[in-house]
Amino acid sequence: MRKFIHSRWQRWVNRRIPRSDVQLLTQRNLFILPTAAGVVFGMLLLIMLITGINYQNSLIYLVTFLLGAVFVGAMHQTHRNLSGLELTLVQAGEGFAGDEILFRLRAAAGKDDAVAISLSGDDVSVRVGHVPSHQSVDVAFPVPSAFRGYLRPDQIRIETRFPFGLLKAWSWMRPHSAAVVFPRPLAAPEVISAVDDGDEAASSRSPEGNDHAEIRPWREGDMSQRVMWKRFVRSGQMVVADWEADKGSPHWLDFNAFPGADHELRLSYLSWLVLERGKNGARFGLNLPGQVIEPDTGPAHVTRCLRALAIWGEEKPRDAFAEPHGTRSASDPAGRSGATSGVRS
Amino acid sequence: MSFWNRRTAEAEQQGDGLPSRALLWLILSFSLLLLPQLDRLPPWLIAACIALAGWRWLAQQGRVRLPGRWLRTSIMLLLVAVYLVRVQGSFTVDTAASFFVLAVGLKWLETRTPRDFYVLFYILVYLAAVNFLFHQEIHWALINIGSIALLLVGLQVLNAPELPGGLKAGWSRLGVMLLKVLPVVVLLFVFFPRMAPLWSVPLVSGQARTGISDTMRPGDISNLAQSSERAFRVTFGGSMPEYRDRYWRGLILDNLDDGTWRQSRYEPRRRPGRVSVDGGVGQLAPLEYDVLMEPTDQRWAFALQGSVAVSDNVIKESDDLFRFRRPADSPVRYRLARENAERPSEESLTPGEARRFLQLPSTGNPRARALANELRQSSNDIGVIRTLLTRFREQPYYYTLRPPQMPEDGIDSLLFDEKRGFCAHYAGATAFVLRSAGIPARVVVGYQGGESGVGNEYLIVRQYDAHAWVEAWVEGQGWVRIDPTAAIAPNRIESGLREAVAEEGSFLENDWTSAQRYGDVAVIQWASLQLDRINYQWQRWVVGYQGQSQMDLMSRLPGGFGMRELGYLTAGIVGAGLLVAGLISALQLRHGGQRDGYQRVLEAWHQLCGRVGVPVRNGETPAVLASRLAVAEPALADSARLFARMVNSHYYSDQSARGATDDLQRLRRLLATMKRQLRRTDKKTTRNAPAQASLRKTL
Repeated sequence: MRKFIHSRWQRWVNRRIPRSDVQLLTQRNLFILPTAAGVVFGMLLLIMLITGINYQNSLIYLVTFLLGAVFVGAMHQTHRNLSGLELTLVQAGEGFAGDEILFRLRAAAGKDDAVAISLSGDDVSVRVGHVPSHQSVDVAFPVPSAFRGYLRPDQIRIETRFPFGLLKAWSWMRPHSAAVVFPRPLAAPEVISAVDDGDEAASSRSPEGNDHAEIRPWREGDMSQRVMWKRFVRSGQMVVADWEADKGSPHWLDFNAFPGADHELRLSYLSWLVLERGKNGARFGLNLPGQVIEPDTGPAHVTRCLRALAIWGEEKPRDAFAEPHGTRSASDPAGRSGATSGVRS
Repeated sequence: MSFWNRRTAEAEQQGDGLPSRALLWLILSFSLLLLPQLDRLPPWLIAACIALAGWRWLAQQGRVRLPGRWLRTSIMLLLVAVYLVRVQGSFTVDTAASFFVLAVGLKWLETRTPRDFYVLFYILVYLAAVNFLFHQEIHWALINIGSIALLLVGLQVLNAPELPGGLKAGWSRLGVMLLKVLPVVVLLFVFFPRMAPLWSVPLVSGQARTGISDTMRPGDISNLAQSSERAFRVTFGGSMPEYRDRYWRGLILDNLDDGTWRQSRYEPRRRPGRVSVDGGVGQLAPLEYDVLMEPTDQRWAFALQGSVAVSDNVIKESDDLFRFRRPADSPVRYRLARENAERPSEESLTPGEARRFLQLPSTGNPRARALANELRQSSNDIGVIRTLLTRFREQPYYYTLRPPQMPEDGIDSLLFDEKRGFCAHYAGATAFVLRSAGIPARVVVGYQGGESGVGNEYLIVRQYDAHAWVEAWVEGQGWVRIDPTAAIAPNRIESGLREAVAEEGSFLENDWTSAQRYGDVAVIQWASLQLDRINYQWQRWVVGYQGQSQMDLMSRLPGGFGMRELGYLTAGIVGAGLLVAGLISALQLRHGGQRDGYQRVLEAWHQLCGRVGVPVRNGETPAVLASRLAVAEPALADSARLFARMVNSHYYSDQSARGATDDLQRLRRLLATMKRQLRRTDKKTTRNAPAQASLRKTL
């Protein structure tokens, strides 16, 4: 039941706050509620009122009303702290899977000061502090990444409890742009490439007709092309043919050069290799199924290759119902449409 | 165990928990809130509180460590034990308040996190409320509210340690907020229904009060004469009585034993409860007068001779005295009226009464008894009284605040040897002589005189106006007031104690801080009277604003306001206050502060685009946005392009060429058109293909 309410609430919030890289906080998307301290404060006021009634003490009445009115005034103030504030996603960062990816956000205050605001995600929280009116402050917001690919936080919560901590006003920013997370580099076994220099067609080279293939049972991560379907039809067993690939040119980093490894592992190997080549200043090209990057050198080339590795097979998230980051492993029962970021066909 | 460990890692850690400045405000507020309690708290408790708060502050500075669990527990047990021993099981609001203070003091040792900070905040706010139970003068009110303000600033520092603009901004933020909410507070204060107490709680204070008591030994009242504390204040409906007629009767002492005058009647101990502070309402009739009395913790009320009760919180008892139903534990106002004509009293004393007012100890003071016999022989009752007063007037009797010690047969030595005494001496002696002469007599204790407040609006009666005099029963005339002091020191009765002891220079000689002591310095006198007036109005109209005064005020408003209507009204005020606050903020947002009409239209357009799924990007021109909108919503393409062109022409071409308002009108109309078109297409798509509509939304 709680889960149901929570998901309904999330859906309502998400409808109310569409994904956008620019979020102007107004009454439409700001929420305000008393904090626990505020609730206790309310009870205190009630006790004070009863004291005033019992002792027929006008001054206790007066103080009670004064504090009650201050509470309402604080509501106003807390709301105004955020209202008019504009949050902009300046840059969605890049990084390796497992690291924290920095999202650079800019908070620009409207005509009121924004005091003591903080940003928080699932398990990170950043104090922004004070943004004077008509000025802006840049914040780096770290988002932990687990997988390579596109990464964008589902919600970044912006909150303030100023002035008295009795009330909290908050809203969410739901960034549109996504960060690119490179595959986590893993030391590759041995550099092999199946690509001959200058032979572009090699990328579509198929394992068929390869004599010294080894038969082994299918395991997760094996490409469907490599399953011996004929045998599957015959016996109902999914087996895979492993083969020793030809030694290729060392200039080429080849996706197909790691027999038996699953895709993610291959991408991690490649990532490591790209970094290593980049460090040595070597000249290299990258061969991925569906994408070939011509040999080159330099940091720009390295970044380009890493990006290609990161987004290989991924679709750029663009819709309002993107999966929250970190939930790639099929934890989403809602069966959202195919345009989600994480689901791979 | 060494506490003086400079900058330990632990202290560093504690520093993380709470910003020092926030803690400083909390401690400041605490010490301010202790001020109203100073006179009632035991010294050891004050010392303990200061020590504990100081410890906490030093710990914050990193100079000492906060105590560990064991030490903390033992400190707590120790202090609570001391408290229990001192209180000895008497549970009053007073002891409860002390315990409250003790709790705050102990809490200082475990204030480590913001949570503890809030706990202290709540306790201190409530402590401010508790303070109001004991002190309601305007300066105490300001101190209490000021310390709450300190707490609120402390909370600001806690929630934003880098408090922008510094403390000044914090204070001004709070000030502006208070100003804004002030009207609502005032309305609530006036209209919130003052209900009867939900349950009765005694407010018995163990504190000794300055004031007259129900026993009188010679010299008692001269102690009171050293105090300039206020006893009560009186407002008259008509003119004030002459100074010499201002005899405020309090109680009657009719039993002399071992040199001490007492009340012979047993004063029944009433069930403890609160005194009713509803003291009558409305304009004062010419003969009526309002008395606002300081708490005495006693039941007696002071009245001029020949008064009747008007407000129902005082009752008239026998001997022409007035009593509250409960001890006056807080300032209490009551209303009386002087009777117009002197009532000739025809009845005579019953034998019981005669016995009561003729009672004397069997032995002692032989010379006074002899004097009485001598007087008795020569004339009737009136004659005895006259002769006695003439004796006082003509022989060298002195009125003094420095009477000599008269341990043995005090009345004899006063009358025949020393001839120096204060009103209590002379009243006691006079009553003794009259009784010895067979005239029923009684000592009356109360006040005599009172100085005028600012503009002669009211009378201030102070403790040094305390007085004792005698009433004697004269057949045919009833009780007659006989004041030996008037015969010895007419000044005392005509213009007060100051004049009477001016030569002696003993007026308030031990009270250096009293403004009355410097009555001859005009500035001080003026300032003290002005302050008193402010306090008087404060007590009458703010502190004393209770059930009857509220009902009285309401009855003057058009429309019959009862309790129920007040309830509705209060709810209405709260609701309206919230609504107005909401409206103001909504208007502020809608009008976007100083933004002009163009910007508002433009913003509305951006919102529309956002709804359709074409959010504005940074630095995007209207034209680009329009073309993107056109792709997303072909139906809007023309209007959008036109809109963008017009916006451009407004911002980038010669202003003077066109009528600006016209343009704005057209932009608005165009926007409305777009919205309409959008609704139409929405409807069409949902009817035809709901799936597509949702698809469009997702894209």
